[in-house]
Amino acid sequence: MRIIVHNAKCQGHARCWSQAPHIFKLDDDGYILPGDIEVAERDELLASRGARSCPDHALEIDRSPEELLDRFLFNQERGGVK
Amino acid sequence: MVSKPIPGHVPPAMVKDFSLFTSPGMQRTPNGDPHAAVACLHAGPPIFFSPNNTRDGRGTWVITRAEDQRRVLQDPETFSSHRSIFASALGENWPMIPLELDPPAHAVFRSLLNPLFSPKRVMALEPVVRERAIALIDRISASSTSCDVMKDFAFPFAVSIFLGFLGLSDERLDIFVGWGKDLLHGDAVKRTAAARAIVQFIDELAALRRKDPVIDFMTFVVEAEVDGRPLTDEEVRGIGVLLLVAGLDTVATAIGFDLAYLARHAEDQKLLRNEPERIVPAAEELLRAYSTVQMIRVARKDIDFEGAPIRKGDYISCSTTIANRDPAEFDRPNTIDLAREDNRHSAFACGPHRCLGSHLARREIVVGLEEWLARIPAFRIKEGTSPITYGGQVFGIENVILDWS
Repeated sequence: MRIIVHNAKCQGHARCWSQAPHIFKLDDDGYILPGDIEVAERDELLASRGARSCPDHALEIDRSPEELLDRFLFNQERGGVK
Repeated sequence: MVSKPIPGHVPPAMVKDFSLFTSPGMQRTPNGDPHAAVACLHAGPPIFFSPNNTRDGRGTWVITRAEDQRRVLQDPETFSSHRSIFASALGENWPMIPLELDPPAHAVFRSLLNPLFSPKRVMALEPVVRERAIALIDRISASSTSCDVMKDFAFPFAVSIFLGFLGLSDERLDIFVGWGKDLLHGDAVKRTAAARAIVQFIDELAALRRKDPVIDFMTFVVEAEVDGRPLTDEEVRGIGVLLLVAGLDTVATAIGFDLAYLARHAEDQKLLRNEPERIVPAAEELLRAYSTVQMIRVARKDIDFEGAPIRKGDYISCSTTIANRDPAEFDRPNTIDLAREDNRHSAFACGPHRCLGSHLARREIVVGLEEWLARIPAFRIKEGTSPITYGGQVFGIENVILDWS
């Protein structure tokens, strides 16, 4: 999984950092550093939570087609998602 | 207050009889729930015109959906922040800085001030914040099994942190609390008197620090440079006034709403007391559910927005109290779920004017709740008393009498 960072939209809420400081690195003013973030598999839950807490939608979760298919099959086996 | 006539370009069908100041639930109400009252707006149109929706009786467009508010707040080229809300109480016209500046001037001042309020800086301030909370709570618990949590804890706590930030002693704490109350919730006469007193105080403090610099916030401001020049007196005043106004009321109010909620929900109170690591996400959920602030923007040009013919000069209200109850943004928005995930609430606004003090405010709220729950046993609203809530430009709560006898 990858987090696409839209720096122009970051307004320094630091909500991502507060949930996962080792994934989301901030500059001295508290705004996210430039560059997309490759997320290790063990960090995926934390990273997606951090990304989904951004009030300005500055963080976009990017999954490869294989990952999306895996998740779809996983959810389907458990009766789908609402 | 007689409301001003509805502008001719507003289609009558888009006018709605709603006001953050005068609608039911917005007046001072014992055991009121102004947030539930505004949440009902989501059953209606996403944008409408409210004929009387500012303190001085002006009409505003009201944006209810979180997504639409985000579009407005992220677009300062179209929607200006310059409205001199403080100075207008004095019949003057100068901006609070950086709140009421637009780009490009906004970014210059924001960069100047950001390092003083960054997450890192706030981490360094935390021990002082905690010490202050502990001292106040220990004094309360040593002397009684009941207190008015606003008067005895929330206000003295928030205001003394702020005074410490300015490098001032607690001596005049009560005066500052009074200014904040009069300015945000008083009538026109009190409001003007408080505004005048605040300006005089800031001007005198700035003059003092220019003459005898020390290591504190105002000294930093009077010695700072932007674009290779020192700040003007009006700029120094604009920064000082904003800091003072922003620090006086909002954090205390958040703590008041939070403790009133926990007093009425024993299970949630027990959960946070037993598992204090849940307090950080719980504080975010309570910020969402009990947001207090309304942002107003002024259209810089004509624009048709979601079917509304907004014209240059129109006011556009984006109330966090409404957006944070939007069912399109939050699952079951009127249910308080202290473990809520994906909680992208806008209690501190969004866009470039995201609250500069948000990291400090969050820290104060979390530390306040942590120390309160660690030191005060199971508490409830004292029998025979009722917290009083109200709406308006900034929502509020008073008379939160807690009892743990």
